[in-house]
Amino acid sequence: MSCHIAHEQAAAAASRLLTLRSRPLRVALVGQPNVGKSVVFGRLTGRYVTVSNYPGTTVAVTKGRSMVGAQVCDVIDTPGVNALEGTLSEDERIAREVLSGDGADVVVQIADARNLRRALMLTSQIADFDKPMVLALNMVDEAWARGISVDADALAAELQVPVVEMVAVEGRGLPELRDAIARADRPHVPALTHAVDRAAWAHSLTERVRRVSALSLAYVQEALARATRRPVTGLPILAAVLYLLYLFVGVFGAQTLVGLLEGTVFGKGINPAAIWTVDRFIPIPLVRDFLVGEYGLITMGVTYSIAIVLPVVATFFLMFGFLEDSGYIPRLAIFCDRIFRSMGLNGKAVLPMVLGLGCDTMATMTTRILGTPKERLIAILLLALGIPCSAQLATILGILGGISFAALATLFGVVLGQMFAVGWLAARVLKGERSEFILELPPIRWPRLGNLVTKTRLRVWWYLGEAVPLFLVGTALLFVLDRLHVLGLIAAAGRPIVTGLLGLPAQTAQILVMGFLRRDYGAAGLFQLAREGQLSGVQSVVALTVMTLFVPCVANFLMMVRERGLKTGLAIIGIITPIAIFTGAGLNHVLRALGVQF
Amino acid sequence: MSSVRLVFSSDGVRALSAMRAGDRGVVVAIEARENGRVDRLLSLGVTPGARVTVLQMFPGVVFQCDQTELAVERGVADAILIGPVEGRS
Repeated sequence: MSCHIAHEQAAAAASRLLTLRSRPLRVALVGQPNVGKSVVFGRLTGRYVTVSNYPGTTVAVTKGRSMVGAQVCDVIDTPGVNALEGTLSEDERIAREVLSGDGADVVVQIADARNLRRALMLTSQIADFDKPMVLALNMVDEAWARGISVDADALAAELQVPVVEMVAVEGRGLPELRDAIARADRPHVPALTHAVDRAAWAHSLTERVRRVSALSLAYVQEALARATRRPVTGLPILAAVLYLLYLFVGVFGAQTLVGLLEGTVFGKGINPAAIWTVDRFIPIPLVRDFLVGEYGLITMGVTYSIAIVLPVVATFFLMFGFLEDSGYIPRLAIFCDRIFRSMGLNGKAVLPMVLGLGCDTMATMTTRILGTPKERLIAILLLALGIPCSAQLATILGILGGISFAALATLFGVVLGQMFAVGWLAARVLKGERSEFILELPPIRWPRLGNLVTKTRLRVWWYLGEAVPLFLVGTALLFVLDRLHVLGLIAAAGRPIVTGLLGLPAQTAQILVMGFLRRDYGAAGLFQLAREGQLSGVQSVVALTVMTLFVPCVANFLMMVRERGLKTGLAIIGIITPIAIFTGAGLNHVLRALGVQF
Repeated sequence: MSSVRLVFSSDGVRALSAMRAGDRGVVVAIEARENGRVDRLLSLGVTPGARVTVLQMFPGVVFQCDQTELAVERGVADAILIGPVEGRS
């Protein structure tokens, strides 16, 4: 296609779009999972949506504004789809809805340049929606490194739509993409209905425009990819990753940084200064207590959220982001598949489970990538039951890491055992089927520092913006409840269970109740008790086990209700609460009977 | 739901699960079951004519199909039938 004709067409298309529209042009970004839709979205709109290196990072639709020439566009980021017809998972249906109605005027298909054949199979399905489109071949640098080159001009001539080559993470190809959106056109694709015919068409077109040489420059990545999926090397690597996670988050974050912040910055600096200032300038005792008392906003709320939880959450988010971007997490699915299958899931469930270690609420949404309603329900139940979120993990590591490795191992052993038992039962009790394990493994990549920093920064901000205020509200609530002597009542009501069955100090009752407001809040309460020396080793293990298994936080509960309905949400709580208490009671009695000291 | 079968000579055709790491071949057919298996495999590029290299068999079957690395459970690998690569010496 010559340059001159292209420009004329562009002008014609642009004026057509300009004249017809009374609202912003809606541009939907569609494509296979993990091809970089969110990166392109970020580049077009300036809005950051989480970018990772595994399929299923985006499970909902995000919108943002962008300028294309003189035209204002609404850009829509959609979850990745392998297909738009046939058996679809929930996130694929969400993407399909964007295309099927009136939701998009122009479709930009983002494709992994390496995987042209699969991309074209999807192009053939997108063509059925009869919308003007652009094909963006992303990650051409990685394709070249692996000896793959695509003739974009020939492809554009065959499809009769603009084809743009991109390296979106570096911003390369973006001006060309904006240009191409104005020239978007309906693809010239034979009308096919059967997937096999689509595949045959895609296969022959790929053969015409793509060349693959045997030469690959990506040997380091390929060697790492091999090592992480083979049992002989993969299991030691997993152990090393977990140990590094423990060292960085459990030791450096939960002990070194927390010690520095809590012990020195808050313990010797901020809190004494705050107490001195308040005592001097505020005459009303009630207000003084509200600010710096036992349940004081500064001495409890701010100290907990900033000094105890923040360092662990931040170190965890950083390490977690690194793992996400490297492409390592999906490889764990190969090792977990058998275990998950006995729980009515398949290896793919490792993604929401590992994500739950960041935030159970987000992970509950990620269960959309699972194949069947039964799998989603089991995964949501297990997330709520046993997966500690980053802040809880913080307190677990902070308290038990200081006691002994055996204490940590006991907690995780009991929690994992309980998850397995509940999953195993749920798989047999619940109706429905599991889907088969079929998972695409992303390439191993060295994470980009820029994305890692942005992602960690946004997550820390999220924590500061969402969790810290809730922490303060929780502290205020505790203060009020304490003044109204309700805390005493809660403690009295919970006493038979808490002190009798679980063998814990009576204050633990209120901590468990507050834990529902935010899991980490309750966990931080335990941390305080442990610091004050009010919990023995056995009590710490029992209390944290109950807290980990106990009902999820309000946000997680609301997400469960949103995803699966109120009845299911309440049912999950109804199942989890007794499990948590009886497990704790059993653990308490066994540990005491055995005379374990930790 | 559809069963996919190309007419091919049955010589040397075997299930993916019967292959060994390092073996190569071409997808000949996928046996259908009532759970969308064929749809999902097709959408991931496991289509008749696609080239396959087996990467490992344990703990799960991992293979490369065209440029995509896929992990599947054994039951799925049983259903993917692989023929010899054409025109190889």
